[in-house]
Amino acid sequence: MKLPFRLRRPRSIAFRLIGAVLAVELLASLAAIALSLAYEHHAHFRTFDIMLRGRADSVMGAVQDADDPGDNVMLDRADLTVPQDDLWEVFDDRDRLLGRSANWPADATGLLANTPAQFGPMPDGVLTNLRIHGHRYRFLLRHGVRTIDPSEPGGGTPRHITILYGMQTGHVWGAIREAVKFYAFGSLLLLLATGPLIAWLLHRGLDPLRQLATLSTRISVDDWQFTPPDLARETPELAPLTLALESALERLHRSFDQQSNFVSDAAHEFKTAVAVVKSSLQLLTLAQRSPAEYRAGIQRTLSDVERLEQLIARSLTLARIERAPAPASPELGSDFAAAVRMAAEELASVAEIRQVAVQVAVEQGRKNPVQLAVDDARLLVSNLLLNAIEHSPEGATVQLLLTAPGDFLELTVEDHGEGIAPGALPHIFDRFYRGDSSRARSTGGAGLGLSIVKALVTRAGGEVHIVSRLAEGTIVTVRLPVAEPVEHN
Amino acid sequence: MRVLLVEDEPRLAANLAAALREGPGFAVDSALDGDTGDQLAAQRCYDLVILDLMLPKLDGQTILTRMRARRDATPVLILTAQEGKATLVDLLNRGADDYLAKPFDLGELLARCKALIRRGKGAPHPVLTLGDLEMNTLEQSVRRAGVVVDLSPTEYHVLEILLHHPRRIFSKEELLEHLYDFNWEHHSNVIEAHVSNLRRKLETAAPGAEPLIETKRGRGYRLCIEHTP
Repeated sequence: MKLPFRLRRPRSIAFRLIGAVLAVELLASLAAIALSLAYEHHAHFRTFDIMLRGRADSVMGAVQDADDPGDNVMLDRADLTVPQDDLWEVFDDRDRLLGRSANWPADATGLLANTPAQFGPMPDGVLTNLRIHGHRYRFLLRHGVRTIDPSEPGGGTPRHITILYGMQTGHVWGAIREAVKFYAFGSLLLLLATGPLIAWLLHRGLDPLRQLATLSTRISVDDWQFTPPDLARETPELAPLTLALESALERLHRSFDQQSNFVSDAAHEFKTAVAVVKSSLQLLTLAQRSPAEYRAGIQRTLSDVERLEQLIARSLTLARIERAPAPASPELGSDFAAAVRMAAEELASVAEIRQVAVQVAVEQGRKNPVQLAVDDARLLVSNLLLNAIEHSPEGATVQLLLTAPGDFLELTVEDHGEGIAPGALPHIFDRFYRGDSSRARSTGGAGLGLSIVKALVTRAGGEVHIVSRLAEGTIVTVRLPVAEPVEHN
Repeated sequence: MRVLLVEDEPRLAANLAAALREGPGFAVDSALDGDTGDQLAAQRCYDLVILDLMLPKLDGQTILTRMRARRDATPVLILTAQEGKATLVDLLNRGADDYLAKPFDLGELLARCKALIRRGKGAPHPVLTLGDLEMNTLEQSVRRAGVVVDLSPTEYHVLEILLHHPRRIFSKEELLEHLYDFNWEHHSNVIEAHVSNLRRKLETAAPGAEPLIETKRGRGYRLCIEHTP
């Protein structure tokens, strides 16, 4: 019933869901930024490399045949237009430096300080990133061939030329940064925009749950009304909860009803019993009576009091059985066969007075422990037997049969009395129920005997069934599980 | 006066019947279940019905509803062990005249029964008077012109019935119905004897006055007031 409060303490579902969605969104945008970074980097540097190659090629193109007899080459700077920021140098295969850019660092080290011989084994197109005077550079190494006097016989003289060309990468990184910044900013904007949207959608989505919770809080002891909204009933996630709530409430309600019915039934019985005693006494005071009349009246009142006493005792017995937890320990297991014999002995005189024969048949050779205390086991059998005796006509026979067909015990109590009307059978275990009131009352039953039987059987983990035919008789079958594995003596 | 008692607890029914017979001297029929009670009530020969609510076979409420549906105006006193005012209000609305909660006081029950019968006959006061005749239903005493008339219980009851409806003619059978329960042998000449005794005793108390009880041959008896035809 305290659902909303319970939820809030650890943090609301909506809050957690929104957090989760936003976290996933954030991760996704971070991944998108990383991907865009990789892509932009790749794309920009591809373009950059192509440009680098183009620049290097244009330097290569500026290498001319020197008009000297030695078939030398020279760099013709007149046609060479490359940006001034670029660093470059050109060698020929005689290790002569044909030229380098004006801004070639004087204190060049590493790659830039390499001799042409050192460049020789390096493959064509090698790219190297360097940092020079605080600027990032990307260098390309190119090996080229320039043919001198190609018109001469033999195809002229090939000259190998090596070019190292470097361009600043700063503006490329700037472009990449800009692009990534754009993506990041876009993602952030989306995050900010989707956050409230998700919150709103979630709020709407959780509506059925909230409705259910609101309705549940309205349930109280006085108001059992609970009609879950159709939305909650039809939502797959909420349907089990709704159903569980409904059925739990229904069971609770039923048990409350039963309890209050029991209380009002009990009140009725007790008040009636007290009314009998009171009226018996008041009847005596209505007029002047003879001592014999007083004596008879007191006798009647005494028997009325005895019935009241019996009603109280039986109600308390029933309450005790129903309230106490079932004994789980096997040491409580009492011999059921002994209980059957004890009950038969106990009721022998009653049977005799009513001229009813009682036959007891107990399957021999087995211990029959059940999950009941000795007194309770005897109470169970004696209640059944007394019922059978009271509903038997004079001269009839009541049969008690105890068998152990499996790992359970079966007790059948059969009488040949007037039977129970089919309409009364479903109520026969109800408390204070009497099949035929006047007759049952005249036999002194409080309508609790079978309720006590039922409670005891339930407690022992067994079951009880009644088969009855009008004018033929009744058979009560009690099945109880054996408390320990059956052992042969 | 004849009372129908519908109560399923046999000891309580026996005590109530005994008290009703012994105290006000009513004729009492007992029904131990709702069905029997309903059948008896349908005969409409009762001056009062005492009805328990929780009954086997047919509950008291249904019996009451059926009675009122038949336009049976017999006063009904409900005996109840049930809690809750709602049921009581409902019962009174359904036409019950009074109720008593168990366990009740026997004296109170008798007093209420008498009051209900009296009111059922249109007499709100326990002392019935007609001319110089005065009947105190509490003391069960009768005076004529101030002189106490000593009547036997049956004579008293005959007079009581006649006095509740002056000038109405009661047949012998009607008088029998209101005087005796089903356990009695009915003989109409018993009534004749009682009426003639009653008439004699009333005349002795006021010699020379006109006879109070008039016999309508073949139809029955009635009380007639002096100076009226």
